[in-house]
Amino acid sequence: MSARSVLEVEDLEVHYGLGRRRRRVLDGVSLSVSNGEAVGLIGETGSGKSTLARAVVGLVPFSRGRIVIDGQDVSQAKARQWRDLRRRGVVQYVFQDPLRSLDPDLTVGQSIVEPLLIQGISGAEADARARAFLGRVRLDPELLGRLPGELSGGQRQRVSVARALVTEPKLIMLDEPVSALDSSNRVQVLEILKGLREAGVGLVFISHDLGSVAGLTDRIAVLYQGELVEVGPTRSIINEPRHVYTRLLIDSAPTLRSAAAKRSEREQLRALLHT
Amino acid sequence: MIRRVLAQSTGRLAVGILSVIVFLAIFGSVIAPYSPLTNSATQLAHISGSHWLGTDYLGRDTLSRILAGSRASVIGAIEVAVIALFVGAIPGVLSVYLGRVFEWVTLRLVDTLISLPFLLVAVAVTALLGNGITQALLVVGVLLAPSFYRVSRAAALSVAHSQYVEAAQISGASTAWIVRRHVWSKVLPPISISMAYTVGAGFVVVSSLSFLGIGVQPPAPTWGGMLSSDLNYLSYQPWAPVAPALLIIATVWACNLLADAIRDVSGEAGRAAANMRPKWRRKLALSQGGG
Amino acid sequence: MAFAAGRKTESRVRETESRAAAPPVASALLSVRDVHIRDRATDREIVHGISFELAPGRVVGIVGESGSGKTLTCRAVLGILPDQLVVSGGSIRLAGRDLAELSGKQWTELRGSTISAVFQDPASYLNPSIQVGPQIAEVIRVKKKVRRREARDRALELLRSVQLRQPESVYGQYTYELSGGMLQRVLIAAAIAADPKVLIADEATTSLDVTVQAEILDLLADLRERTGLAQVIVAHDLAVVAQVCDEVLVMREGDVVEHGTTAEVLYRPQHEYTQLLIAEHEQYGLERFLDIPREERA
Repeated sequence: MSARSVLEVEDLEVHYGLGRRRRRVLDGVSLSVSNGEAVGLIGETGSGKSTLARAVVGLVPFSRGRIVIDGQDVSQAKARQWRDLRRRGVVQYVFQDPLRSLDPDLTVGQSIVEPLLIQGISGAEADARARAFLGRVRLDPELLGRLPGELSGGQRQRVSVARALVTEPKLIMLDEPVSALDSSNRVQVLEILKGLREAGVGLVFISHDLGSVAGLTDRIAVLYQGELVEVGPTRSIINEPRHVYTRLLIDSAPTLRSAAAKRSEREQLRALLHT
Repeated sequence: MIRRVLAQSTGRLAVGILSVIVFLAIFGSVIAPYSPLTNSATQLAHISGSHWLGTDYLGRDTLSRILAGSRASVIGAIEVAVIALFVGAIPGVLSVYLGRVFEWVTLRLVDTLISLPFLLVAVAVTALLGNGITQALLVVGVLLAPSFYRVSRAAALSVAHSQYVEAAQISGASTAWIVRRHVWSKVLPPISISMAYTVGAGFVVVSSLSFLGIGVQPPAPTWGGMLSSDLNYLSYQPWAPVAPALLIIATVWACNLLADAIRDVSGEAGRAAANMRPKWRRKLALSQGGG
Repeated sequence: MAFAAGRKTESRVRETESRAAAPPVASALLSVRDVHIRDRATDREIVHGISFELAPGRVVGIVGESGSGKTLTCRAVLGILPDQLVVSGGSIRLAGRDLAELSGKQWTELRGSTISAVFQDPASYLNPSIQVGPQIAEVIRVKKKVRRREARDRALELLRSVQLRQPESVYGQYTYELSGGMLQRVLIAAAIAADPKVLIADEATTSLDVTVQAEILDLLADLRERTGLAQVIVAHDLAVVAQVCDEVLVMREGDVVEHGTTAEVLYRPQHEYTQLLIAEHEQYGLERFLDIPREERA
């Protein structure tokens, strides 16, 4: 049985800057995500992972390659086509810092329903639909009338997730969903994301820390300096990493018991990487 | 936002004073007991039952002149502010969207304008273009535009690259939607504050110009002009300048107070204070418009 | 008794990573005994009694969430508590001296040459309009009283010792040109410039990528081995602390809920909060997937 893919990225190339300062941020990246699959896109700062996620939702133009979202090729899409695709509510995005991605002058309730209102759904109907998702993100309806500044970091992140859910998208990109959170909040959000996965939504987690999302992903894709260096099922990437960078990534993840012992291994891998 | 401003005591006070001034501007001549232009034989009279503020050196009723003079000042101040608003705010917002060259050019123009002392320039312009109030006000309006430029540019910048605008775009929002729902609420408060301050500044400028004899020609009454002539007869009527001076001061002070009140209810401080909003704002309806 | 610590040990001990618990050491470099910290403004006690000893060449770790009191403890040890907070009970002794009795001048002497620190956001501790190299050279010039040229050479040496690949190049760069990891190395270089005995790393790796974090932690372990630098590592991730520390304290809302050797805390945690932190790692971290050999489990 072939699962239809909700996202297909083929040989993507993205440049930033003009003239002499032009540099290649993504180089020939290909990735596919099937319906209901959870993929972890791992890379360090500057690897291009956020750029890739932003290109998928149309915030960043690309110079070469193809992107197909839910069967629709958006490679040549202009503003109008992007708007129509977006209004279908197929793809959504959860930003890393909810404090910056929620309008500080709107109540969180207003922010959550915004995608529905943009689609043209009436206020009352949007209300009702949005409330149905509050349970899934364990958000108290009482908080809806508050401004983002009045909520805790964990609550804000859950609001951000709720906003991404209301259009019932097939694919959600999540940029470092838990890295800004404290332990207790982190666990709660991870639980919510686990629930999403079980509900069959395609998820792409962007993170620099493999450890934080390993428990949630089916597959891992490792990005290093704009190139996809390794892709595979989570378990095999973690236990049998092949590329030097992947191995360094695994060895660097702070695990409770084995991290100290791997020091010399890490030093060797770093030396290899920089030759 | 208007409701929030009025909720503050400073806001109410400011709006109260300004309403009175505007009322005087509109109805001043009508309620004045005498015509401001009628000369009479009772020159430099003291405060009395028939002349509540006495008369000036030509026997004209001071109170009537003040009431009638309010119009020129108010209209002048508003004119200056409106010119400054358009000349400043539009390029300010556009500078964020029209590319590097436009941005650089406007920034340098603004720097130049800031460095010019406006009264001197206004006087110089009237010397060049003739003694009309319109020319002078135009020039002053342009000279006061930089603050609108900076304020609207800053507001537009902060919104343009923000993540919540990106989030709206990802959900398919059109530019119109984004402006209405996100940009407007960020740009309106700072511009309102600037407006209030500039109207106050405009009052000072108009009064100063008329004090110097530029603009509205005698015998038409203006507060500044009255101050000027009062100074000549100070030994006869030492209390005379008090009335127009107080009015000028009160009006400018009210404008600044209004600006402060708006500032208190908007931006970071305003949002923190919004914790204590009255209950009607805490309704759980999700989809009402922001504001 | 504690005055024995007044004699500074000049020898740099090369110590293997021993995980045995250290007995109460008479020559402890840093001795924190039942320290309480109180907020004078609200008259509330924020830290309810924390104790630990740091001997030369040892590393102590403090784990806790924001608000647990871990950062305040560090600030108390460094003498930089905000005005309204005071040490309301217990004592802190550094190299045998009671910190409560120190004057401003004596503090200035101590900082940098006996105790030093690195914090979370490296860029904010450097002047962005001056190149980073001269800023380190300045520290050396002042603390070691050497001439400019020698200070520059030593600064380059330090940059090399913190494993920066091109020290000469980094010397001449500005903060905005350097990545988070490189900046943190520069700060570590500045912190050890005057050869302190104790280094406090307060959430020094929190905002760094995981690979860069590992580099910095490895660097700290390397410094410990090469120079015997004693360290206090503060983090909110138990695994970070477990990687480099001999002894661990877990703090929660001002209380120390767990204190023992690393092995004890990881394998025989007493308090449920510690157990929660461990469980979180095991459920959501790499642990679940790594085929951990049976021998590692105690």
